[in-house]
Amino acid sequence: MTNGELDRYLAGEPPIVPSSGFAANVMDAVRREAATPPPIPFPWKRAIPGFVGALLIVVCFAVVFATTPITGAVPALFPRAAEILDAARAIGAGWILLALLLSYLSVRLAKLVARAPW
Amino acid sequence: MTAADIDADRAAVGQVLAGDVSAFEAIVRRWQGPLVNLAYRFCRDRARAEEMAQEVFLRAYRALGQWRRDAAFSTWLFALAANLYRTELRRNPPPAVALDRVAEPRDWRSEDGGFEEQEIAGNVRQLVASMPAKYRDALVLYYFHDMDILGAAHSLGISEGTMKARLSRGRELLRRKMSAPAGPRTREEL
Repeated sequence: MTNGELDRYLAGEPPIVPSSGFAANVMDAVRREAATPPPIPFPWKRAIPGFVGALLIVVCFAVVFATTPITGAVPALFPRAAEILDAARAIGAGWILLALLLSYLSVRLAKLVARAPW
Repeated sequence: MTAADIDADRAAVGQVLAGDVSAFEAIVRRWQGPLVNLAYRFCRDRARAEEMAQEVFLRAYRALGQWRRDAAFSTWLFALAANLYRTELRRNPPPAVALDRVAEPRDWRSEDGGFEEQEIAGNVRQLVASMPAKYRDALVLYYFHDMDILGAAHSLGISEGTMKARLSRGRELLRRKMSAPAGPRTREEL
């Protein structure tokens, strides 16, 4: 099949006509849309301090976890847990997790701020 | 599209943005045919095409303020429509027609003066709708825009070169599928 034949088959498609009530249906939907009050925008200015506070708390917990030696009930309950945590600390898993978490949160925050109707 | 149409679109958009909702009807009446036809070429289902076109008008109404007047209103509207139709088909694809199963005999010349030609054309269009999305989109928009590569590329938001490459590859794929002998049919198809 040549390009010319393809052109003939595909360009020569007869148009369809929208049903008679189509425009009226669209306008009904548009009027309903216009009559609906606009959604209340999310209060970003008030929420951002809360987000920042929550982020700081998470960071503090992560830092405490990464720097405090393991003692108490956890090793007694899970004998292998101390070994695993020590190994994780040796490779700096806490910092890696913290860095990943911060990266993820900063991307999410940037996306949210970019979408926000200021 | 004439300069008068472009001016009429600009005026109607201005009126809608100023609060006159009924001015949007002029836009709907002017573009309902092209938008329904474009949707139909994507999904091959008339009722669904109208639903999708209605959704485009609603989104256009909501986003009217985002139209930058450096391009024609129709360019913006078709890009919005193409984007929505592609998303809609990705989410809810039309019934699949296996490319191998729609193949026609190798001799394409019409023997009965038109009917067979129409049938072949119908099969070619059905095949286009069943192609991988990026080739289907390129072919649908190219022929919808009267074989205007730049117009189709604008609607898809891709460069002219990418459009040409997809078009060429899509045509090649289509040609190969149309030349292939029909595959074995399953019991359900018989």
